[in-house]
Formats: sequence, C-alpha cells, structure tokens
Amino acid sequence: MNILVFTKRVAATQEEELRIRDEGASVDLSKVPFKINDWDNYSIEEAVRIVEKTGGTVTAISIGDAESDEVLRRAIAMGAKDGFLVNSESVFHDPGVRSRLIQNFIQKENIPFDVIFTGVQSEDDQFGCVGGILGAVLGLPYSSMVIGIDAVEKDHMIIRRELEGGLQERIKITVPCVLSIQSGINEPRYVSIMGIRKASKVERKVFKAADYAAEAGPGIEVVQWAYPEKKGVATMLTGELDVVCGQLLGILKEKGVFQ
Amino acid sequence: MSYTLIIAEVRRGVFEERNLDSAGIAALLGKEAVMLLPDGAYQTGNIADTIVKVKVGEEVFLNPLNLKNILEKVFTARGNPDVIIFTHSSFGMESAAYTAGAFGFPVVTDVSGYDKERGVFLKSYYSDKIFGEFKANGGPVVLSVRSGSFKEFAAEKTATRVEEIEGVAPVEGRTFVEYVEEEKADVDITKADFLLSVGRGIGNKDEIPAYEDLAGKLKAVLSGSRPVIDKMWLPKPRQVGTSGKTVKPKVYLAMGISGAFQHIAGMKDSECIIAVNKDTEAPIFQYAHFGIVADIHKVRDKLKEIMG
Ligand SMILES: Cc1cc2nc3c(=O)[nH]c(=O)nc-3n(C[C@H](O)[C@H](O)[C@H](O)COP(=O)(O)OP(=O)(O)OC[C@H]3O[C@@H](n4cnc5c(N)ncnc54)[C@H](O)[C@@H]3O)c2cc1C
Ligand SMILES: Nc1ncnc2c1ncn2[C@@H]1O[C@H](COP(=O)(O)O)[C@@H](O)[C@H]1O
Repeated sequence: MNILVFTKRVAATQEEELRIRDEGASVDLSKVPFKINDWDNYSIEEAVRIVEKTGGTVTAISIGDAESDEVLRRAIAMGAKDGFLVNSESVFHDPGVRSRLIQNFIQKENIPFDVIFTGVQSEDDQFGCVGGILGAVLGLPYSSMVIGIDAVEKDHMIIRRELEGGLQERIKITVPCVLSIQSGINEPRYVSIMGIRKASKVERKVFKAADYAAEAGPGIEVVQWAYPEKKGVATMLTGELDVVCGQLLGILKEKGVFQ
Repeated sequence: MSYTLIIAEVRRGVFEERNLDSAGIAALLGKEAVMLLPDGAYQTGNIADTIVKVKVGEEVFLNPLNLKNILEKVFTARGNPDVIIFTHSSFGMESAAYTAGAFGFPVVTDVSGYDKERGVFLKSYYSDKIFGEFKANGGPVVLSVRSGSFKEFAAEKTATRVEEIEGVAPVEGRTFVEYVEEEKADVDITKADFLLSVGRGIGNKDEIPAYEDLAGKLKAVLSGSRPVIDKMWLPKPRQVGTSGKTVKPKVYLAMGISGAFQHIAGMKDSECIIAVNKDTEAPIFQYAHFGIVADIHKVRDKLKEIMG
C-alpha cells in the first residue's frame, strides 16, 4: 500500500504571547518556535505502521517555506521513504487553495497512491478542511476523525471514526480514499536527533508551488486579525506561592469540597 | 430566492442541541432558514422557516458522500442557498469540508462570531489566542459553527413549513457498519464533586503519580484534557471535553490546560472553575472564576506541603 502523508510545520503558540502587527494585517510569529503539527505526527506513525505490515511506501509531503524541510526529515526518520516539499514563501490561509494545489501537484506529477492521510486539523488554523476538500476534488471516498484502522485489504479498509462523548462508528471505506487521522490513534515513535540527522542524508525533492496553483483564486480572505474579546471575570490570586496556595485551599473549603 | 440552508445534525434518533447554534447564526443572517434533515421523528422545535425531510435513514444522511448527492437535489429544486451551515462537530467538520470541495464553495469552519455590518465571520486561530475575520469572495459560503456561540439568537418561528424530498441511493465507497461504545470506566468522572484535571502542561507521564497523590490528598478525582488521554497517561473515560465527558462538578481545578473550545465545552458549566497556568494569556482564564499564573508543579508541591 502506498500512502501519501501530508505534514505541516506549525507555530507552537501554546506558551507564547502573540501580538498582532500592522493594524491587524498580520500576526507576529517571529519569536515563536515551530514544530510538526501534532495531528500529522499521529498520521505519519499510522502510515508507517500500515506499510510495515502490508509493504509499500510512505511519502511525506509538505506545502510551505524552505524551513518545512524540517518536518519532512522528521517524517523520514519515522519511516517515510521520500519527502516532497511544495515550496512557497507565502501562507495560504484558504484551505481550498491548499487542497487544489495538492490536487494539481498529485495529478501533474503523477504521484501514485492507494491512500492519502492528512491530520484532522492544523494546530494553527484549526480549519480541519484540507483532507475533506481534497477527497471531494479527487472524487474519492473520505472520512475524518479516524481513530482506529481495524483492517486493511486491497480494495477496502475497516476504520473507526470518533464521534462525540466517547462514541465511535465503524465504517467500511473503499481504497483509494482520503482519511484524516485523529490524535490518539496510536503512540507515535520517539524521534532522536541522531535519527533526524541520518534522515537528512535522504534526498528530499523540492517543487515550486507556483507550478501547481489553481486557476480560481482564494474563496475566502482574512480581513483582519483580532484579539479575543475579553469576557473573563476571573479573580486572579497573586502574591507569594504559599499565600496563593493557602487562598486556593480556602476556596476549596468554602465550596465544601475539602476539609 | 435567497435562503440559508441549515444541515441539521441528528444521531441515534436525537436532534442535537448544537443545531440551535446553526439556527442562531441563520437568524442573524436574516434570510429564509431552510433546515435539511433525514426523515424521522425528531424533536426539532420551530427554529426554521422550512424543514425539508429527506427520505433516507440517519446513517445515509450523516455520510458526506451521500450528503453531496442529497444537496445536489436540493440545489436543483431551490437554487443555490447563500450560506450553508453545519455544526462544528465530528459530523459537521467532515461534511462542511467535503461539501465545500464537492461544489467548489468557499468554507470557514469553527465560526464563533458574525459581524453583519461588515459581513465578516470570526474564526479562532492558535487555540483562541487570535481570531481571524474572514470574508468570502462570492458564495454560497459553507460554515461550521462552534457550539454555544449563537444559540441565544435562535428565534422561535411562528410557522414552520414541512416539505419532503425523495432520498438518494447510498454510495458504495463508504458505508456505516456499527456504533462502538466506549470502554467501561473504573470511576465515573461525571459523578465527582471535585475534579483535579491535568493537561499537556504536566510535561510527561512520570508526573502523573505526583498529581494522583495530590488528588488523593485533596479527595478529588483526577481527570484530564485530550492530549493526556491521547498519550495514554490517563485512561479514556477520564477525558473531559466534546469527545470525552461533559462534567459539572462543584469545583473544577484545571492545571496546565490551555482552554481549547473542545475542552471548555465539556466543563464550562462547573460551579467553580479554578485554572492554574503559567501563560497569562491562556484562554482558560476567560472561563475561570479564579486564576493562578504559576508553574503547576510548584503549586502542586506547595499544596502538598501545606496539607502535610
Ligand atoms: C474533533 C476534536 C475533538 C477534541 N476533543 C477534545 C476533548 O474532548 N477534550 C480536550 O481536552 N480536547 C479535545 N480536543 C483537543 C483540543 O483542541 C486541544 O488540542 C486540547 O484541549 C489541548 O489540551 P491542553 O490544554 O492540555 O494542551 P495545550 O493546549 O498544549 O496547553 C497546555 C497548557 O499548559 C500550560 N503549561 C505548560 N507547562 C506549564 C507549567 N509548567 N505550569 C503551568 N502551565 C503550564 C501552557 O501554558 C498551556 O496553556 C479535540 C480536538 C478535536 C479536533
Ligand atoms: N501547508 C500544508 N502542508 C502539508 N499538509 C497540510 C498543509 N495544510 C494542511 N495540511 C494537512 O491538512 C490537515 C488539515 O489541515 P487544516 O485544514 O489546515 O486544518 C493537516 O493536519 C495536514 O495534514
């Protein structure tokens, strides 16, 4: 089974202070560290595991700036055979633009595949769209929220989709297809610095995004960026740690959950 | 004629409450609200001007490949809508994207605000640290809306017309097999009065015993955010959030949890929320009653020291 896995390099903003620049025109990410999108890490792992069992290859593909090579090296260290960078220095906020770019790339370069994996969503934009749009434009069956792959056959797969509240649904999907992989589907393997260094010796191919641009322009545009509306009324406990912790225990007593 | 199309979400005979958010934004958009749902005895309330029942079963309707064929029929009969609204859930996320791709429509997901004057949709970026104001270049635009964002705008309609349309032949590419229930739990976190909930901020699995110990001393039950469960640091039935449990304890003490909406949706109705996070801008502080900006490990150790 040949699997294409889409991997995105994203800003790790969880612990960062984010500032909007140029009167709302952009978000300053210059001091923010970048990493592989968490969901894509799970999907590379899943693809590598399938190929280890069934044979075939995993190809990691990223659309992004030159730095995105980093996530390709990481994917190769995890077991991908090839890494393709579809290089563009601009960010495409519209997931439709990204999906059509991917469609054109796969079709023009004649890249063979049985299954395409994406993550459920990008950590940065949280669109959760690239896989679904891609499935539709390629005319292939699609499923998102894939939390288990129970059987892999030549012409179909049995998978589990995650719903709400812990419920799942088992579905049968024919191959070729596009699947968006949910976090928690597996335990991604550890990647060492040594492993990544070794992966650097595998050649990654670079393509120019401009060669695959869709005719239609973006369907949506960001008018401006904004900070969240402050709705909080939280009372902040401040001061020395023992004072704050003492206050915390006081609140717990007052609420009647702690004696 | 211009209209807004709401794709209702139903599951196992239940009309999901988050459809109210779809009805809410439809009311703000102000066009005729047409709600599409599969045939069945669902308690929808009068939240749309027109209900269109499709003569197919739930599992057929909830499959984006079939939905595409159903929508083709609707568009042929009524013309294209201006806006197509999904819930931002497992079903809605999947089908909004697929629908947008299938028809070449623009799409904005996880929409939590709408500015009618400027015609922009507000969408979360970076787990709610920044929001993007999006405009569609042409339409119809496909939206998926965040639950809890618009339900207050859902208006009770005086008259709801009900129409029926014929079903479609289910596609073969993707078929429903069965539902799979969650594993049995050792403790039911929905029954606890006091939850100590830990997030990715605890750093690694080796920290879990120290938080178990803290929970023991506080007589709290330990729960967690999704990454903690994904990494198997805690069992799945201990997960709080949309894809885990919805909890309403007297006290919810969140340590090292940023406050993504899927987490917030599962705990926002707790009587008292206390958040500990080292990031002053963590979105969870917007929902908390009390907040502490500190290193959670230090808070943990200090609490234990005071309690002896
Ligand atoms: C379809 C779908 C369903 C989902 N369902 C759920 C769900 O049911 N439940 C759920 O929780 N999530 C769910 N998620 C995931 C959700 O989007 C977030 O990714 C997740 O909630 C983030 O968890 P977190 O807050 O623990 O981690 P992060 O967002 O990584 O936050 C970690 C926090 O810890 C803080 N921190 C780090 N170190 C320290 C320290 N030493 N001291 C103090 N603070 C520290 C950081 O500042 C940060 O705020 C779902 C996502 C999708 C797409
Ligand atoms: N620039 C990109 N390069 C590679 N893969 C991407 C890119 N953008 C999105 N994807 C894939 O699509 C998934 C969903 O992205 P999104 O629709 O942006 O939430 C991600 O998890 C990736 O697998």
